[in-house]
Amino acid sequence: MKKLLLISAALAFSSSANAQTIFVDDATVVAPNGAQSKADVIVVDGVIQRRGARLAAPDGADVVTGGWVTPGLFASMSSLGMSDIGSSGPGNDVSSESSETNVSEYAVDSFNPRSVHIANVRQNGITHAVIAPRSGSNSIFAGTGAIISLSGGFDSVLDPEAFVMVDLGETGTRRAGGSRAAAMSQFRSAIEDAEGFARRYSEAPDGGDVLTRQDAKAFTRAVRGEIPLLIRVNRAADMMRLIDIKKDNPSMSMIFVGAAEAWEVADDIAAADIRVIIDPLKNLPDSFESAGSRLDNVIFLENAGVDYAISNLGALGVTKPATLAQHAGAAVVEGLSWGQAFDAISSIPSQWFKVRGRSVVVWDGDPLEVTSAPIAMSIDGTPQSMTSRQKALRDRYNPSTTDERPYKYR
Amino acid sequence: MKNLIPLLLSTAALVACEPSTGTSSENESGTEKGAAFQSTYSPQAPTNVLLRNATLIDGVSSEIQTGDLLVSDGKIGFVGSGEIPEGVTELDLDGRFVTPGIIDIHSHLGNYPSPSVQAHSDGNEVTSPITSEVYAEHGVWPQDPGFDEALQGGVTTLHVLPGSANLFGGRGVTLRNVPSRTVQGMKFPGAPYTLKMACGENPKRVYGNKGGPGSRMGNVAGYRKNWIKAQGYKAKRDKGGDYDRDLQLETLADVLDGKILIQMHCYRADEMVQILDLAKEFDYKVTTFHHAVEAYKIGDYLAENDTCAAMWADWGAFKMESFDYINENIPFVHAAGACAMIHSDDQNNIQRLNQEVAKTWADGNRAGLDIPKADAWKWLSTNPAKALGILEETGTLEAGKRADIVIWDGDPFSTYGRPATVMVDGVVLFDRETGLKPKSDFRLGYADLTEGPK
Repeated sequence: MKKLLLISAALAFSSSANAQTIFVDDATVVAPNGAQSKADVIVVDGVIQRRGARLAAPDGADVVTGGWVTPGLFASMSSLGMSDIGSSGPGNDVSSESSETNVSEYAVDSFNPRSVHIANVRQNGITHAVIAPRSGSNSIFAGTGAIISLSGGFDSVLDPEAFVMVDLGETGTRRAGGSRAAAMSQFRSAIEDAEGFARRYSEAPDGGDVLTRQDAKAFTRAVRGEIPLLIRVNRAADMMRLIDIKKDNPSMSMIFVGAAEAWEVADDIAAADIRVIIDPLKNLPDSFESAGSRLDNVIFLENAGVDYAISNLGALGVTKPATLAQHAGAAVVEGLSWGQAFDAISSIPSQWFKVRGRSVVVWDGDPLEVTSAPIAMSIDGTPQSMTSRQKALRDRYNPSTTDERPYKYR
Repeated sequence: MKNLIPLLLSTAALVACEPSTGTSSENESGTEKGAAFQSTYSPQAPTNVLLRNATLIDGVSSEIQTGDLLVSDGKIGFVGSGEIPEGVTELDLDGRFVTPGIIDIHSHLGNYPSPSVQAHSDGNEVTSPITSEVYAEHGVWPQDPGFDEALQGGVTTLHVLPGSANLFGGRGVTLRNVPSRTVQGMKFPGAPYTLKMACGENPKRVYGNKGGPGSRMGNVAGYRKNWIKAQGYKAKRDKGGDYDRDLQLETLADVLDGKILIQMHCYRADEMVQILDLAKEFDYKVTTFHHAVEAYKIGDYLAENDTCAAMWADWGAFKMESFDYINENIPFVHAAGACAMIHSDDQNNIQRLNQEVAKTWADGNRAGLDIPKADAWKWLSTNPAKALGILEETGTLEAGKRADIVIWDGDPFSTYGRPATVMVDGVVLFDRETGLKPKSDFRLGYADLTEGPK
């Protein structure tokens, strides 16, 4: 009879994972614009079924007190689904060290929606992400990035051609051959290659100054401003040079990524209508180009009226977005309002990258608190699994389990 | 901060009292006669202050208490209640949290300092798999701006280790997180040396094409060969008389004598158990496994061997041996009855180790454990102090210990709680309200810019 008992225990576990009804008593409900209100909310499988001032808990519902109901988080920088492990090798497609191409390398071609890291990261309330390559070989151009949802489905690529990724600063300098002047020369020449695409490449495929035909073609949409350029840059002086290039090419849409010294030129960035993705926890002068790093960088941007999103750029690689909310919380400690910080990891980047639809996350507390976690989620009305490889490992080795089978049979 | 008086007093004391230059006759380092590179640290003039109405997490009790704490002559006078000396300055904390100073057992501040240029890469002697002759302290740059930022995160003691390329990486050093021109001025007096060893991918990757080891088999063979040599050296040394001093074997023989603590970089569960067997073969103790991403799979072995594990809250998948990371590693090891702790191995996370613990503590309890906050705090100070052999002196709030204390402006288990005041040996080295904080030479010029108005 022992065997039968074990099987029934397993069945009980799997059925409880289905059709989950949650009654969030006196929830803090966060609107897509970051505004908070109070309501009772009934959530079935991560989808809001009812909300009202005084609802009764449905029979059999899990009652949650102190819960929050919010839109999903948007990770504005990641390489999710592009690598299995961080170290280089066949499992890592984030950059190509010896390829002949650059802008025409599409992150979406490297993207595996079945990567276990997507479900792992989704457990942190993140429903959407930018996926971006990193530069390799001798080009400052890393490739063309995409926008994904974290559903893990083969239909989870929302925009396969969302932006062009450029590495300037110390990394771009190294790619271009050793100086900032070389990197900027490559950048300006590439713009001219793409602008003059029809003329330059009509007679010879190598008619460009720095880009081959397929890369120049892939770059034309960004140069026309149809999709943004995401530019990794940290030094204030580098940002000022880019502002000059933007003045010469006013149709181009630029987003600075990193921007450690943005506070120094915040007014110029705002005036040039350039957007910024920053990490509010960046405070160490870990390179000469970020010697001016300071925790309240984000406050300068807010005060100058810069359009910014928050990312956890300083976090570790493969599963980077996981700690996104923690980094946004740091901006609140520095003086942003809760709503401003939350918008910077949800609605603001969602609007930038034209992600529509409605995602819902039910949390057991304030999502910016390190001690909080999601308990249910949905993306565009589709319930999302709250399991992952990490949670499966957790359950197998949980010291509070009553399961006495050998580990490999759990 | 209502009552600023004691903090301002301490600022004055800081100005008045330059660190000792090391000629002091009462050097308390406790190292052997003739030992080189001795600690020259002696605390500046400490604040005597009674912290009133504190919420106390003492690193000993499983419960959070409320009460007073007396700081007297650099030591903790009493915790809770006790005899109040006449005329002592009082500071009403109005219920704010007071904790022991945080101890990070795995840092590379100073030996991989900011800015991280190649010329600053002094943490790993990547020239041979056996470099037990090197000392981390000889690569520590006391002007690393990271020390100052870590202090503002409540870190009062840290252990700087060599990197993990080598089977035997070299000696680690325990530092007071105090402003100093020299590393000797930061060395924790009397703290035992440690030996960094490394398992797994790093040694075999680095030396696979340079004569080996090229596999985990080669790693273990490399450990065994050198422990055998060390046994021979120790036998000669024990006999007395003339022998050729060998720095490499001296470190290993000191481990066999129990004078140096093993701090071993090891990720995989099966590999850690192999190492515990190796330690039995040569009769030494593994004090702590570092990173230990799979420690949750072998909590019972760790408890049985009285070996600690120093772990991250949520880092992994950056290489194969960290693929099985889970967010509940620390609470699961703790629940198995083993000695668990947080570590940073990082210049950013060392600034927020309390948040790292808060994350993993909450995840553990969400998984069905019931660990009180006060017990989880031990992962930040008590257990690292134990694993560094300095628990007699710091790591908890107990009468007679060094007054290494953090006063928080909120709950340390929250995103929104930060250190307001940090004391080392009763000296206020950081105070948010008054703006008192150390500033590295490197920050000058840059720092002037970074302190402009918003």
